[in-house]
Amino acid sequence: MAFSSMAFLFGFLPTAVLCYFLIPARWRAGRSGALLLFSLLFYAWGGLRLLPALLWSCLVTWAGGLLLTVGRRRRRAVFRAAAALNLLPLVCFKYTAFLLENLNALGLELAVPELLLPAGISFFTFQALSYLADVYWGTIPPEGNFPRLALYMAFFPQLLQGPIVRYGDFGPLLADRRESVPEISAGAVRFCFGLAKKVLLADALGNAANAAFSAGDRLTVGLAWLGSIAYTLQLYFDFSGYTDMALGLGGVFGLPLPENFDYPYIARSATEFWRRWHITLSRWFRDYVYIPLGGNRCSRGRHLLNLLAVWLLTGLWHGAAWTFAAWGLYYAALLIGEKYLWGGALERLPAPLRHAYALVLINFGWVLFRAGSLGQAGEMIAAMLGAAPGGGWSGEAAYYLRQYAWEWAVALPAALPVKVWLSRLLEARREEGGRGAAAVLAFGPKLLALVLLGLSAVRLLSSTFRSFLYFQF
Amino acid sequence: MEHFSQRAFLLCLLAALLAVPAGTALWSRKDTAAYYENRSLTEFPSLTAESLWSGTLGGDLESWYSDHVPGRTTLLKADTAVQLHLLRRPAVNEVVSAGDVLLPLLPYEERRAEEYPALAKAAAEPFARLSAYIQSYGGVFCYAGFPEQRVYFRDKYPDYLSRHETEASAGDGAYARAMAEAGVDFLDMAAVYDAQGHPREYYSAVDHHYHYYGAYAAYRAVLEHLAEKGWDLPVLTEEDLDFRELPNPYIATRNRKLYNLWPNEERAVIGVQRTPVPFTRYDNGQPSDKPLFVLPAADYLPTTYNLYMGGDFAETVLETGRAELPNALIFGDSFTNALETLLYASFNETRVLDLRQYDEMSLRDYIGQYRPDVVLCIQNDTFYYLGGGNNDVWEEP
Repeated sequence: MAFSSMAFLFGFLPTAVLCYFLIPARWRAGRSGALLLFSLLFYAWGGLRLLPALLWSCLVTWAGGLLLTVGRRRRRAVFRAAAALNLLPLVCFKYTAFLLENLNALGLELAVPELLLPAGISFFTFQALSYLADVYWGTIPPEGNFPRLALYMAFFPQLLQGPIVRYGDFGPLLADRRESVPEISAGAVRFCFGLAKKVLLADALGNAANAAFSAGDRLTVGLAWLGSIAYTLQLYFDFSGYTDMALGLGGVFGLPLPENFDYPYIARSATEFWRRWHITLSRWFRDYVYIPLGGNRCSRGRHLLNLLAVWLLTGLWHGAAWTFAAWGLYYAALLIGEKYLWGGALERLPAPLRHAYALVLINFGWVLFRAGSLGQAGEMIAAMLGAAPGGGWSGEAAYYLRQYAWEWAVALPAALPVKVWLSRLLEARREEGGRGAAAVLAFGPKLLALVLLGLSAVRLLSSTFRSFLYFQF
Repeated sequence: MEHFSQRAFLLCLLAALLAVPAGTALWSRKDTAAYYENRSLTEFPSLTAESLWSGTLGGDLESWYSDHVPGRTTLLKADTAVQLHLLRRPAVNEVVSAGDVLLPLLPYEERRAEEYPALAKAAAEPFARLSAYIQSYGGVFCYAGFPEQRVYFRDKYPDYLSRHETEASAGDGAYARAMAEAGVDFLDMAAVYDAQGHPREYYSAVDHHYHYYGAYAAYRAVLEHLAEKGWDLPVLTEEDLDFRELPNPYIATRNRKLYNLWPNEERAVIGVQRTPVPFTRYDNGQPSDKPLFVLPAADYLPTTYNLYMGGDFAETVLETGRAELPNALIFGDSFTNALETLLYASFNETRVLDLRQYDEMSLRDYIGQYRPDVVLCIQNDTFYYLGGGNNDVWEEP
């Protein structure tokens, strides 16, 4: 079930919230049980066929965690077995076809099965692996209560698209959390803003991106740039919109989730971009792959190898295709370059130039990410660099600029921390005794949230349902 | 203040989240169609093991829920008004407001000009066979091809929008040439209208069809064309007709998509015969008391192009009981509807088929059974290269 659907907004969500809060607050286990049941229902909405993979992961993780504490001698074997059993469905569903297609490209004639990827499998598998690793390393004790661990794995606000949560942060809250009106209110406001980001901005800009990436011989330099920028914005508003909704819902249920975005498009380097984009994934790879491989406390050669491995895996985590592998390696090259080659020179450039440098490189990166094949990515990038089959400019580019003029006008400032600046300004005035500022701070976001919810709902009525981009990963 | 705002906000939000399902449960089950969207609403899905397992049930429920939200039409109408009048988007609900006309938003992808001749040649072949067959028993076949409204007004598209110029020029041109080369008597109405000065009033501003004045001009052109071939048919002259502008708002297809929010003064016109030619009508084999013009019950009710003959039927027969006149068969798309109100008066019996709907026998067998003296195909250019429907004209015996 997608957050941006009528069934979720005006069916599942109010039912889940009412059932949750009708259970007495002192009966924590009851509220957690209700959350687990609604989480499973949420996941099964996409088909009961999805449930086995999730339940398998929950069971293996729970049992693996318990077995890790049974004896010291076999801990490594248990950890490896539990991790492998967790990775098995991910590899089967996500990478089998990719592997077989590449073997077929080498001359084999293997049948390629059509497997439907269970939504969110990459996310819950990574949560399971982080739990197992943390138990294995002794950072956290194992969870003996299966429903609690299952709720950690399946908590519906972050089940399909993250943020990737660690049990060390999440587990204690299950037993000891307190829902409060300010947190519920703030969470609901954030949910509405996230919904609007997805429905009003991302989906509209996605039309411009889709047009550019399917233009073929009509592709012009202008359309290529417009399409790639549209996709850059679409992906941000789609994914960060989902994250806002997830964090908002987490707040409603008294389970705060970690931030996943920190205005990534204000970054001044590729390195900084990855400190601001999909933060929980970057941290996961840092803590569970990069550092165990040796991190940067090793020879330069080994460090380069570690970076390449981490970024290749990051790329392939997003999708089983060479475009994703290339995208991962592209960032490996940029990060290595910024670390060892041009990082110093970059630091000395004026801030606007560094922003421009980062934005252009990020934009090219998303072309690799969005393209259906390496060939298409090449054509798109060539068009952006001037070698477009359709020439410099076309009416099609003008149309997508005009048709979505309002979205362009809102999206560009919305990708900047304008909200933060405004809040600081109003808070300063309120501190000085400004009653108007206090009223705006108290009522403004909430009124705007209700308006955005209404506008989003109307848009949902008038448009074909569109899933979130990160559901596919 | 913060305390109050938080509680007030949460109450409003919860009320909104609960009002929609409650309203849907109470009021919306009886609606079955969305008038402005011109489609049926999704029916409540049935629960099956397969739909539960595959997840199609969730998708179907989502469609049903979206379709049955209370006040849906009002909300969508308000949204359209905002898009149209406030945000002023170039295209709203895939309709372009191009000056004084509404046109469809066309995709930028188009066939290349060099692809058309071969396609046109293939399209002409069955019509050539049909024509030969009709001539073999002494009948005559004429194919009148019409530009659709978007083609007629294509110069009104803003420069940056696709107007399918290649389709309109190379495509239509290749089609007319291919028909001529195949020996089909093809009357290119675009050329006829151009020769008359491409009058603005021939086509509707808000509908994809022509206006009644365009239909009348076509009627005269077709009869003149038949007269050149030796058919001396009675003609309804302008003096014989009283062209009446209906008081009803003419919503038509394009403004219907905009919830009739595009301001315009266009009205539908009907040509009432001063001395009517009486007829007996049959629709789909059954006697019908439908008049030539099916008017709304009240002046304030909107009307559409369906007012002409009451819309599309698989088969309509109009008998005038004048044995001295020839019999006619007209087949084609909805451009026939307005023409039928005029053409029937020139024949003894007029049979009308829409092959998109008629499936009782092949056109060849139908013609073999009734042997009409004059066979007319009326089709607009959006169907030239589609195949099927009214292009499905020849089946080898």
